[in-house]
Amino acid sequence: MTAVEPQAAGTSERLVRQLADLGGLEVADGGATRGAVTVLMLPETLEEATHAIAGTAGARLADMFADNGGDAPTLRLVWAVEEGYLLTETEIEGDQYPALSDIAPAAFVEECEIHEQFGIRPATGKPLNRLMLPPHTGADFPRLGHRPAQPPEEVHAPHTVGGQAFEFPFGPVRQVGVESLYYGLVTRGEEVVDVYMFTWHKHRGVEWRLRGTTPREGLFFAERAEGLSAVAVGWAFAAAAEAALGVAPPPAADRTRAVALELERLYNHAAAMAALCQATGLTVGQSAAEIALERLLRVNAAAFGHRNLFGVIQPGGASRAPDATVLRRDLAAAYGELRRAADALLATNSFVDRLEACGVLTAEQARRLGLVGPVARATGLAVDTRLNGRRPPSGSADGGPYAGYPVTAITADGGDVFARFQVMLGEAAESVRLIGEFLDAGTAAECSPLPGGGGNGLGWAESSRGEVLAWIALDEDGRITRARLRPGSVRNWRGFDDACRSQNVFTDIPIIEASFWLTAAGLAR
Amino acid sequence: MPLWFVRGLRRGVVTTRYPARPDDSAAWLPRPPAFRSWQLTREAADRMVAVCPGPALSRRDDTLVFDVGACTACGRCAEAAPDAVAPSGEFELATTSRSALIKDIPIRGGGR
Amino acid sequence: MNPSQDEAEVARRLRDTIAGQFGRSLHIRTLDTGSCAVCEQEIRLLAAPHYDLHRLGFFFTPAPRHADLLLVTGPMIRAFDVAARKTYEAMPGPKVVVATGACALGGVYPKDPFVHGNVGALLPVDVWIPGCPPSPLALLYGLSVAVGRLAEKAPGLTFIADGDGGGA
Repeated sequence: MTAVEPQAAGTSERLVRQLADLGGLEVADGGATRGAVTVLMLPETLEEATHAIAGTAGARLADMFADNGGDAPTLRLVWAVEEGYLLTETEIEGDQYPALSDIAPAAFVEECEIHEQFGIRPATGKPLNRLMLPPHTGADFPRLGHRPAQPPEEVHAPHTVGGQAFEFPFGPVRQVGVESLYYGLVTRGEEVVDVYMFTWHKHRGVEWRLRGTTPREGLFFAERAEGLSAVAVGWAFAAAAEAALGVAPPPAADRTRAVALELERLYNHAAAMAALCQATGLTVGQSAAEIALERLLRVNAAAFGHRNLFGVIQPGGASRAPDATVLRRDLAAAYGELRRAADALLATNSFVDRLEACGVLTAEQARRLGLVGPVARATGLAVDTRLNGRRPPSGSADGGPYAGYPVTAITADGGDVFARFQVMLGEAAESVRLIGEFLDAGTAAECSPLPGGGGNGLGWAESSRGEVLAWIALDEDGRITRARLRPGSVRNWRGFDDACRSQNVFTDIPIIEASFWLTAAGLAR
Repeated sequence: MPLWFVRGLRRGVVTTRYPARPDDSAAWLPRPPAFRSWQLTREAADRMVAVCPGPALSRRDDTLVFDVGACTACGRCAEAAPDAVAPSGEFELATTSRSALIKDIPIRGGGR
Repeated sequence: MNPSQDEAEVARRLRDTIAGQFGRSLHIRTLDTGSCAVCEQEIRLLAAPHYDLHRLGFFFTPAPRHADLLLVTGPMIRAFDVAARKTYEAMPGPKVVVATGACALGGVYPKDPFVHGNVGALLPVDVWIPGCPPSPLALLYGLSVAVGRLAEKAPGLTFIADGDGGGA
């Protein structure tokens, strides 16, 4: 495991100049997305622009989505660059936009989603799958935009294995106590040839539902888009609204949010550890991890009034703050349980043997697919929105809660299940340290009042699964006209089939799934 | 004797005796609210109904209709009308009849 | 001879017999109709050391054919209807359906083209467990009510807090 130093700033300015040469126009006034650098691009030069950005060191496609501002949909690409985010906006007339081949692997899921919701597609001619919406959705099924002229196809990758592979549909009702999730497993008997997934049976239409709500009303649904990341998604959503309205939470409230976020990271990593033990058939380890998980959930309840930290984040700040003395004491005990269980597991050869060389992802795959979180960090990529210079969004003078308490980005080599497990354990230790520092600096349950007016804003937070992004457009009455939620699960599920295919037998799939620790709810929303 | 077994014996039993005995951890759980009917005015009731994110609260004349089953214990109603709301202390809410979870709270505080 | 009284008596004896059988050994199949994933975590913790549902004679089973009780989370997304009905119909009678969590009880998503809004719109629900999420203690209480081991409190609670007391 290595600690990684963050890189120099200035990339945004260079890129804006490059894009301006391609006819791009930086927007800084009302139409801009606050919290990011916004550049309007024309469709004619969008492909070149994307090529230029994709070729810049340290640039990563963080999201792609569309919006029906006027009659023509606007296509937005959100790029993570060294010191923040760069957004390109392009109005698309007609039903096609340029083939953005540089980002095709990283953006495939988004291209399919945009096609289903807005009817526009990249000019590649290749088939797009129906991914987000259920089959047989009629013209009147609620969409964010217009129905595509041609319904999307049900295309799976061709299986060229000499006619001996068979497809094995699994789910959506699976083993007990896990979310509904449909896998198509293509196998010759042991080896995984392909895994494809559908989650449209969990599509609740959260982004559609958020339209017309105020940030306060919308936060209730944003938290429940992926409940296991309620703090992270809630924070990203609240920060997007705050950025749009030009307000920042009081610093003590920002630290309260950070304490809640780190507690959320801790309990999710404990749960992932329990799932790894269950997947490897190690009941004692599973019980030990579950004891740690239960204790961490009780710490959350005692500190913030809810086991899963719902309702802590509010637009403008935080609604509840912990008793520092009680939290410090309880957390030390709960983390001790987690650490003892982890140490015992690391000393258990039969456990470690199953994790090593299992579910391997290379750094190149992680980069090409735009993966985030522990999955990416375990391949060696230092992708973490809490790093210095990439702190959670805040307009406050001191730059946000993490600015004063530099986070060590925990990375590992190997990209296998064991590396992901090690990253999670390292992050858990970091989280405990950070919570101590935030408590020392003081937390409070305070909210800055939200001013009136409208605007667009981008918010983000580092969930246990990786970067969460939220983009909000507010009208003059302060109501949402378009909200985009992009939990970490949306980016990382696309790495799952590559990980499963790397010389694994299909009995390794539950182990790999536990090491990713994503949710179907976060992808489907 | 395996090490994990010895460690387990030393830690002791963590298993709750619930439901045979009460469990202390229940004290930290979020609970649905209870309402002080004499402090509840029509205006406070309407404020609470407006901020409730779901259908848990609605008003029918001088009755606040509280659907406990729909309540997520989010606390927005308590924030909107702190005088009229108290913690109920209840988490054992399961029932065989959905309508048994719908409670009529009389609005006795007067008001418009 | 009063036919409806006889029927009521037979129904009561049948219910008591079922509760008696289920009360000793109950097999539970879970069903996620669109939850946010938190209810599932609380359900998984029922088998964890702090709660250990096995000590109460409750067991999880992945096979609907083996299950007595269907524990349902989520707002019953319409795209899931077929899977939900197949799971329910695969369970042999007698069987009990328990809807758990605010989503399943209609508290989060209204009825619209995406969701039914509550589990009762598609399946015959016998026990309702509120909460967002219901904690493992609330789930243990609800399962005990479902097998007739504990009496329900909710019908007797008023949630009116006049005087010093709480919800009673």
